Amino acid sequence: MQNHEAIPNASGPNPPASADRTSPPAISIRGLTKRYGPLTALNDLNLEIRQGESFGFLGLNGAGKTTAIRLLLDLLRPTNGRACIFGYDCWSEGLEARARIGYLPGELGLYLDLTGLETLDFLAGLNRQPVDKRHRQELCDRLELSRSDLRRRLRQYSTGMKRKLGIIQAFQANPPLLILDEPTEGLDPLMQETFYGLLADVKRGGATVFMSSHVLTEVERVCDRIALLRKGEMALLSSVRESRRLAPRRVRVLFNEDVTVQPELPPGHQLTEKTPRLWRLDVAGPLGPLLALLEGLPVEDMEIEEARLEDVVLRYYREGAS
Amino acid sequence: MRSAFLLFRLSLKRARILLCVTGLLLAGFQALRVHIAASHSASDYEQIAALLPPSVRTILGPSVTSVLSFNGIVCGGYFDLGIVIALVVLTITLATLPAVEIETGFADLILARPMRRHWLISRTIALVLLTILLMLFMILAGTWAGMAMFAPPDASGPPAWQTASLALDLAMLLLCWGGVAMAFGAACRPGVARPAASLIAFAALLLDYAQKLWPALECVGWLSPFKYFTPFELVMGDPLPVDNLLVLWAIAMTGFTVAYFIISHRDISR
Repeated sequence: MQNHEAIPNASGPNPPASADRTSPPAISIRGLTKRYGPLTALNDLNLEIRQGESFGFLGLNGAGKTTAIRLLLDLLRPTNGRACIFGYDCWSEGLEARARIGYLPGELGLYLDLTGLETLDFLAGLNRQPVDKRHRQELCDRLELSRSDLRRRLRQYSTGMKRKLGIIQAFQANPPLLILDEPTEGLDPLMQETFYGLLADVKRGGATVFMSSHVLTEVERVCDRIALLRKGEMALLSSVRESRRLAPRRVRVLFNEDVTVQPELPPGHQLTEKTPRLWRLDVAGPLGPLLALLEGLPVEDMEIEEARLEDVVLRYYREGAS
Repeated sequence: MRSAFLLFRLSLKRARILLCVTGLLLAGFQALRVHIAASHSASDYEQIAALLPPSVRTILGPSVTSVLSFNGIVCGGYFDLGIVIALVVLTITLATLPAVEIETGFADLILARPMRRHWLISRTIALVLLTILLMLFMILAGTWAGMAMFAPPDASGPPAWQTASLALDLAMLLLCWGGVAMAFGAACRPGVARPAASLIAFAALLLDYAQKLWPALECVGWLSPFKYFTPFELVMGDPLPVDNLLVLWAIAMTGFTVAYFIISHRDISR
């Protein structure tokens, strides 16, 4: 099957220190499939996310990210397969499962005639665990949502303010699992930084983060592992570090004299530009063979650009498109 | 249970202005009815009855003299066409609340928490019931106020059993349409559920009037829930038709059951 071929390291990185190996995975998905008539939105998804892990769910629009999330929350009913949250079946034991989740939807459905505070209080009341008001205030302070903002009706809120409110309602009960659908959509860069700080804090506290995004730099920064969905199927499941290895490093070699020699490049090396004083190469794998090749050549300078997750992901996107 | 109570409280809070305004209008209109009834003598009613077009006489049947009396006018708040339509529309609006919550995405935030889906329906039933009781109370309050302010000293209001019968009859009719609308509201978008339920209610009302005017339509007249809403007979002094109330009750219960079934099986998506 397509996704199994593309999985370079299904086991991913070592579990975080906070994770308990004897405890069930935060999320366990087995053969999850969702069809709408002839349309397959999600096909045979298999995934296990350990407690304390930060997991990024990548994919283009319509790839099936939100469908998978909504299946976990029992908002959608699967055609096949099952999913568990901390060992609780998402459907037969949905209440137990959802009691452990803080959810931020991609599109927040809020009643605009309510104030921010009324919304937060109402949603806090639906949680099993009581919300620590000081913790909530701290969240509001960090996201710069003042008391007067919270007293205003939501129809007066900007998109960014609504997003902040969404983040607060998801984080306020300190849930052990955060499911975040496009969390930074609508946040300005400063607030995005604050949000990453929040994520780092909850991660330090041992919470598991499962976030969907198409902002690759965000996922690269926040997540331990990623899964790439393409047309409802998993095209890649890997640690962020491992996925970077899949991408070639870009190397630029400058010479202080003209070099006319035609190099015999080792496997995994590709010359993308060649002038007498400059070579540009894509290097997959170790750099040793390239350094050996350059020995004896008049090298003035060498720049090595770190492999980016974006390159890997874009490659998978393009493969899917073609 | 606590979550369900919070959801109910929130829904009530959001509907409070609509409920207060409708209730006050109903009470005011009822007091006005008493004022109008008190300002006419028995001979006036006879003249009005004589002026009625034959079709209206046919619809009212033998109840025409009872309806066109002080007591009949005062009781009219429980079966006045305008009031009935307004209350049916109000009931349909509230009964389709789950559809609105799903459409706006608010249901996502609620159901992503440890809350069972059926509470969306149970809460709505409670809201519809409370609304019906409140509206009936406001009609009653309007009658009391009108009697105290405008009725002549020798006039007596409708007897308690008659008021209770008319109120129960109207309550069952509203509950019936609440059930129908809720079944639609659990299955469709609000943009579909509300017009569909309203259209069916309007068609049923037309059918009921049509079958009264054209006996040939009586064979399909039983399909209209309005056939089982019989306030004119109650104004005439007939006893409460339990069979009719049971039909309306059964339609309501069927609607609620269908709504529970649909909401527990469907995908919650816009």
